[in-house]
Amino acid sequence: MELNWSTFVLEIINFLVLIWILKHFLYRPVLAIIARRQESVAQQQQQAEALRTEATAMQEEYQQRLSQWQQEQQQARNELQQSLAAERQQQRDRLQQELDVMRHGAEVAEQRQRQDRLRQQEQVAMQQGAQFAAQLLRLGAGPETEKRLTELLIHQLLELDPEQRSRLQRHNGERSNAATIASAWSLGDDQRERLGAALQQCLPEITEWDWQRDPELLAGVRITVGAWELGFNLADELSGFAELGEHG
Amino acid sequence: MDAGEMSIAVIWQLGPVAITNTVVTTWAIMALLALACWLLSRRLQLQPGPLQTAVEGVIVAIDQAIREVAPDHSRLLLPFVGSLWIFLVVANLCSLIPGVHSPTRDLSTTSGLALLVFFYAHWSGIRAQGVGAYLKHYLAPSPVMLPFHIISELSRTIALAVRLFGNMMSLEMAALLILMVAGFLAPVPILMLHVIEALVQAYIFGMLALIYVAGGMQSISSSSGKE
Repeated sequence: MELNWSTFVLEIINFLVLIWILKHFLYRPVLAIIARRQESVAQQQQQAEALRTEATAMQEEYQQRLSQWQQEQQQARNELQQSLAAERQQQRDRLQQELDVMRHGAEVAEQRQRQDRLRQQEQVAMQQGAQFAAQLLRLGAGPETEKRLTELLIHQLLELDPEQRSRLQRHNGERSNAATIASAWSLGDDQRERLGAALQQCLPEITEWDWQRDPELLAGVRITVGAWELGFNLADELSGFAELGEHG
Repeated sequence: MDAGEMSIAVIWQLGPVAITNTVVTTWAIMALLALACWLLSRRLQLQPGPLQTAVEGVIVAIDQAIREVAPDHSRLLLPFVGSLWIFLVVANLCSLIPGVHSPTRDLSTTSGLALLVFFYAHWSGIRAQGVGAYLKHYLAPSPVMLPFHIISELSRTIALAVRLFGNMMSLEMAALLILMVAGFLAPVPILMLHVIEALVQAYIFGMLALIYVAGGMQSISSSSGKE
């Protein structure tokens, strides 16, 4: 154990030289390459971060576009629903109109059927009424009734105004001078004379008289002059009443 | 046991300067490291190979060790402390080569390194804090402590030199004694112990140097914190 000053000094110098060597040939290049690698890694990280930012921006853009598409889709769906609703309403209105028409037709048909049925019932009622009246009048009719009807006819013939008389004369176009007077019961001479005079007052051309008896008339008279016929008896009235019921 | 086996041999005598085998071994180590670093620095790539990865791992490990002790001065201290670690590892392990003695089993080498650590610690402290502020911490917490501070600085420097010298010299001596007594293969476990001890002593010397330098750089802040 001894200290050699030459070795002591040379070792100090040697170590200082070694520090310089290692600093210039080891530490500096190795640290530089590590720094370059770290810088490269940092650049790659920055690039990755930039890519990530870009990707995030693209993702947000796509999200917005997707949201917009969804809104447009919803809007189109709403428009389609509105169109469908309008079309449905139109179809419903058209069907309602057709249904109203059909209902109106059905009501008209039903009303017509009801009126027909009512008319048939009225006819039946009129016929039944006529039959009942005929049976009633057939039982109640007699010479007195005929006499009153004849008197009434004479009175009406005498009461005719000139216009009615001229119309009556126009009915006798053939200007027949023969008149057939049928009655249910035999008329008295007085009545025949007055009836003939009243009729002749209306139709002066009549000169021949044919007095007949027809029990089917029940009561009253039927005057036939050519083609013209005047019924003033219960049978014709009942028949006319029945025909009135049939024709409404 | 030949006394020449453990003695420091003078190979050349150039006037007052004696070139000993310690110096020659140191030169060989320096040449080897310089050649390796030069070859390595020419082939550095961004995509490192296995050798470059190992070298970068060593440099980064040294830098992290310095950063843990002196976080703000790692790049400033890296050349000195890293060179200490690398040189001491190689110098301690070179005695495994038959016929080669470790330079660190010479007190002149360890004393020179300890002296460098002594001056580097003070130079770093003065550089970081200024002369006045740095010298002021010797008077803290009381001027009475100045002699003790001076004794502490000297004793820790001497201890640094003697610790490495004693361990490495004793390792070589023990290996030589066992080789002489037990035969050729018996010293193998001792050589394994030598490897471990060489690495541990290099680590201890470098770490103590780092702590001394970092302590000198941060003494003012420590004193202010205590006050």
